[in-house]
Amino acid sequence: MSEPDTSSPSEPRAVVKRSRRWSTVWIVPAVALALGIWLVWEHYRELGPLAYIRFETAESVVSGKTEVRCRSVLVGLVEKVDLSTDLQSVIVAVRMQPESKSLLREGSRFWVVKPRVTASDISGLNTIISGSYIDLDPGDGREDVHHFDGLEVPPVTKSSVPGLRLVLEAETAGSLAIGSPIYYKGFEVGRVEQRTFDIRKRRTLFDIFIRKEYAELVHEGTAFWNSSGIDISTGADGLRVRTPSFQAMLSGGASFGVPPGSQVGKEVGDGTVFQLYPNEEATRHISFNPERKFLLFFDQTVRGLNTDAPVEFRGIPLGRVVDISFDYAPVGEKRVPVLIEIDPALLRNSAQKATNETVDFKDAVAKGLRAKLGTASLLTGALFVDIDFVPDAPPAEIIKSGDYEVFPTHSSGLVQLEAKVNAILTKIEALPLEDTLSKFGNTADEITAIVTEARATVQKIDQLLAREETQNLTAEMDATLKEVRRSVTSLGPSGSLQGDLNRTLDELRAALRSFKTLTNTIDDKPNSLIFGRESTGDPVPKARR
Amino acid sequence: MNPPSAASKNLATCNVCGKVSPVTDGECPRCGTHLHLRKPQSLSRTWAFLIAAVILYIPANTMPIMTVNGLGGSEKNTIISGVITFWEMKSYPIAIVIFTASVLIPLLKVVALVWLCMAAKGRSHTSPHSLSRLYHVTEILGRWSMVDVFVVAILVCLVQMGALMSITPGPAALSFSAVVILTMFSAMSFDPRLIWDKHREQIQTSDSPDKIPSNLA
Repeated sequence: MSEPDTSSPSEPRAVVKRSRRWSTVWIVPAVALALGIWLVWEHYRELGPLAYIRFETAESVVSGKTEVRCRSVLVGLVEKVDLSTDLQSVIVAVRMQPESKSLLREGSRFWVVKPRVTASDISGLNTIISGSYIDLDPGDGREDVHHFDGLEVPPVTKSSVPGLRLVLEAETAGSLAIGSPIYYKGFEVGRVEQRTFDIRKRRTLFDIFIRKEYAELVHEGTAFWNSSGIDISTGADGLRVRTPSFQAMLSGGASFGVPPGSQVGKEVGDGTVFQLYPNEEATRHISFNPERKFLLFFDQTVRGLNTDAPVEFRGIPLGRVVDISFDYAPVGEKRVPVLIEIDPALLRNSAQKATNETVDFKDAVAKGLRAKLGTASLLTGALFVDIDFVPDAPPAEIIKSGDYEVFPTHSSGLVQLEAKVNAILTKIEALPLEDTLSKFGNTADEITAIVTEARATVQKIDQLLAREETQNLTAEMDATLKEVRRSVTSLGPSGSLQGDLNRTLDELRAALRSFKTLTNTIDDKPNSLIFGRESTGDPVPKARR
Repeated sequence: MNPPSAASKNLATCNVCGKVSPVTDGECPRCGTHLHLRKPQSLSRTWAFLIAAVILYIPANTMPIMTVNGLGGSEKNTIISGVITFWEMKSYPIAIVIFTASVLIPLLKVVALVWLCMAAKGRSHTSPHSLSRLYHVTEILGRWSMVDVFVVAILVCLVQMGALMSITPGPAALSFSAVVILTMFSAMSFDPRLIWDKHREQIQTSDSPDKIPSNLA
């Protein structure tokens, strides 16, 4: 078509083929088009969905470099990091891989993995070299969610880890923090995952996680308490110092257990709310159900009796002192009103055991059940309320005063003790102390006289020592000693005695030698004592017999 | 005023050995190649290759040409992002070289070929001399665009250090080499003599305005 027809008709000419309308060369752009479309399509097919994650800062997140991983498997890449429109946070746009699309679910959690050193652990050190990455913990809600709020702190446990998730409610946050361990009898079984503050209830909420294998330790009757820090308390039992493990001291921790006297109850499911008590001591009070409140009137000082002081029946805790205040007393009341709360169920149980009969309060009071003050600790002077049967107590009954029932009291221990001390003091007063003291004075006078005489004797001895004879005594002693030395010298090696001794010894040696000859002769010839020795000149050796 | 062209005398140059012989012979008496006065289907082939090149030019520039896997994760680079990186690193000469060889030259080639094809159709009034020079420049420049592909090929071969660093080619490398090859084909299929034919025709029509141009007949 583009070739000019230049052949002339006069000459023999080749058959000119009409060129095809579509040359085969057009396959090339067709193929290129197909290839291009395929490449582009492939490129966009490989582009997974975008996820937008909101973080407080984009620290160590780099667009185009920071990866998103789920269980260390690469599932996406940060595409863009933008400030949010209100400039309060950053929005990290993550391009997920198409096959990881299903990870974007409601409840999926994202957090930046970077080196962290906290009191409870050290993590993410590998990211010092490899660079930070965003970790993804897939949730289990509905799919196709694209906007997430990233976590600033990595979750302590991933949602995929099986276990029990509970909520603890506490009055104060204390030293319990995210990641703090949860102990059961000192053994770590879980972690604090999150802590929030409920503004409406004005209480701190802790989301905690108990590992699956220990989940059965938590029951309805379980109590949680804060076991962090050093607990020093002075109570009715004196001074107590308790320290948890070193880690718990540093990062805080909580423990749980079934307090004595509580019902264990059934096992619990996820999301159950428990109270977090400030210490283990506090959990002891939870086993009782303070159903009954009684007002006690004491006609003695209540110094040493504190709020929360125990109410006991023969040493068994029944309840506690709620308040000590004249607010509860009717006008004109001189006795001190003390409000206590007790668990009647506990009292009934323990009273039953003690008296072997079913009691209600009216009956028990008629039988002599009274409240009295007891001394819990002589050291601190703390008091407690002791409820016990008092033999031959004046009859009394429970009466109503204002909002509360008044439980009869008995002037107890302390008052009686006071009376006894008084009696002792009176006796001491009655003792003939003055007589004794005057006699004691006479004795002292005599002792003074003796001492004077002794002093005179000592003076005489002094005079004796001062006399000239006494002074010369030493010179004479010197002379005597010299003579003694001289006589000792005569005994020495150069002395005359030594020569005599040597001679005597020589003679003794000669005598012994002749004696030896004698014994030899006797040995050879025992009869020589009688027959005399043969004088045969040279001795002749003999053959053995 | 113009010397007669070989085509007007029915003389054709052999495309292989260059011998000039009458086109009526059909075959070159020396090497036996088919004789054509002009390259057969020159313009349509040029257009076809050109369009293919233009289509592939898009993925070649939008998609990553190589992926660098290092300790800090993997990084995908397109040609333009590479140029920008070098420019930001203040390596202006390298940035310019890459930009010229990889972006500008293919683009200029395509533009030049489109222009030439237009001219061969009589849609341009540029002098045939300049057009011829343009054609030669296009043909010579063509192969230099391959620099980019070579760089990628060499890097992929050399930088394979396992976990430390490795480079893999991206889909753009294939498209880009296809673009270069297709523009070269396109330039090769273009017959510059068509420009002169058209020029002659235009002169003739202007000389004798009553004569209808052959291509419109």
